[in-house]
Amino acid sequence: MQAYLTQLGHIAPELVLTLVALVVLVMDLVWKGRDSKRIGYITLGGLAVTAWVLWNQWRTLGDTNGALAETAFGMVTVDRFGTFFKLFTVGSLAVVTGFVLADRRERKHGIGEYYFLLLGAAIGIFFMVSTNNLLLLMLGLELLSLASYSLAGFHKGDKRSAEAALKYVIFGGLSAGVMLYGISLLYGMTGTLDLNAMGRGGTQGYPVGLAAQFLISPVPVALAIVLVLAGFAYKVSVVPFHFWTPDVYEGAPTPVTTFLAVASKAAGFAVLLRFVGSLFLVDGVHEAVAAYGEKVGLLLAVLAAVTMTLGNLSALRQTSLKRMLAYSSIAHAGYVLMGLAAMTPEGFTASIFYLAAYYFMNLGAFGFLLYFEGVTGSEQVDSLKGMGWRHPVVAWSMVIFLVSLTGLPPTVGFYGKLLLFYEGIDAGLGWLVVVAALNSVVSLFYYFRVAKVMFLTEPEDAVRTTQPALAGFLAILGALTVVTGVVNERLRTWSDDGQASLGIPQDAARR
Amino acid sequence: MGLGAYVAVSAALFGLGIVAIITRRNVLYILMGIEMILNAANINFVAFNRFGDNGLDGRMFAIFTIILAAAEAAVALAIVLNVFHLFSSVKPSEADLLRE
Repeated sequence: MQAYLTQLGHIAPELVLTLVALVVLVMDLVWKGRDSKRIGYITLGGLAVTAWVLWNQWRTLGDTNGALAETAFGMVTVDRFGTFFKLFTVGSLAVVTGFVLADRRERKHGIGEYYFLLLGAAIGIFFMVSTNNLLLLMLGLELLSLASYSLAGFHKGDKRSAEAALKYVIFGGLSAGVMLYGISLLYGMTGTLDLNAMGRGGTQGYPVGLAAQFLISPVPVALAIVLVLAGFAYKVSVVPFHFWTPDVYEGAPTPVTTFLAVASKAAGFAVLLRFVGSLFLVDGVHEAVAAYGEKVGLLLAVLAAVTMTLGNLSALRQTSLKRMLAYSSIAHAGYVLMGLAAMTPEGFTASIFYLAAYYFMNLGAFGFLLYFEGVTGSEQVDSLKGMGWRHPVVAWSMVIFLVSLTGLPPTVGFYGKLLLFYEGIDAGLGWLVVVAALNSVVSLFYYFRVAKVMFLTEPEDAVRTTQPALAGFLAILGALTVVTGVVNERLRTWSDDGQASLGIPQDAARR
Repeated sequence: MGLGAYVAVSAALFGLGIVAIITRRNVLYILMGIEMILNAANINFVAFNRFGDNGLDGRMFAIFTIILAAAEAAVALAIVLNVFHLFSSVKPSEADLLRE
């Protein structure tokens, strides 16, 4: 009994979040869907409690080298890596909840399930980022996906929202199926669902692990890995599995787009980091491991180069700000993938840091989109004319986010990119760093077109409306983007702690 | 019957599912193709478990996959119903408001 309670304590954040979700669902029914703002406030309160529990867990984990020795119930791996992403998920979910509350185009009543679905998606993220077991990983991923499909189609009478949901569910279902088939092949070849056991071997009857299996039968192993990677690539919208991204991001309600582009994508990357780390960065099981890991690294490097180039070039010719941000998020997936492709612990740290930076700047950029939709009722870049003079606080915050997205100092995006470039060169991926640098120059053009339209054109006559709360929040987020860029030591230590708790060998610097 | 036969059936089912998704224009057939892929994975899990002699992991996964497939079908059909209501069609190619 005591042991059971201890294990239960390890998954306290998940339990609290589930409880909050149930309370939200029940209270919405009790209040019969009237005045859904109250449900939003309950959600925010619940998220604050979850964040507090997570923070305590993060501090406790410091005593045990960042990871618990045992897994809770044999499935949930509690470590600083997972807790890092959970903290950021809770933060971004709180912001998204705020966006729903501030969304002027949203109804006032009968949207209680909006919050419930968001919380459900977050529970999925919580489980998927903190497990080494492929079964629990898949269940978390599907919980996130199913909630996201419903959220994308949340505006039932809106044709664009319905179409976005349809496209999302078809692509999502296909990629989930393909990934599941890949997992079944991996299970067949290694006899285990545990990623660590899979990478190192040692399961009864299968003493050799995946790397040695690769030597015996390269084709099935490669096929299985590619199928599983395809599932992840869809989730983080890496080319060639990115088709759904612009359409879904454009059609979904803006707060949902924010959630998909920030929390969902970062969670996908977290799982991908854990997957690649456990399977391909293992202590010398066999000489062949190095060569085999390098092939996967090269595959990821090529995908990264193609993804960032295609994302940036497509973003150049967008007239809709929402669609432009969707392509920009594809390009950023390419940058994060650079750190993975390096296949070194430092590269992983750089990826984690960049994801943290990505939370800040993209929450801000989508917040700006929401504000400006509320003012002009349009998503087109051209209708931003003169916003800079009418809404200076929001516009200047947006300029900061744009600077950070481009990767210019003194923002957090600059420092994140610097780390990625440095680790890329260190791992011998000089060509990829050159491609990424050229891409950053390309991205300058479309990011600064937004700034140009805001400040260098005369305002057209329009009704002047403001949302002081949202504007103030964006200003704070803008300040944070600069502050974390200048004083980045703490965030980098945290990223490093997260990476260290993954258990990948620290001297894996090859090449 | 050996493991190879099961894997062959599941590979065939997987291939058919992919073909259905690529060639069919009606979203209901696409969803059926997805179900076929999920069931192909299920056959794999159960067969590998039966011949691998390593606990119950594979069978557990198969049961959970069945639940996943049911949940996904429920959500997908709700979305398709809504699309049919708005577009009077269940063909993804006719819902094309979102494009470049």
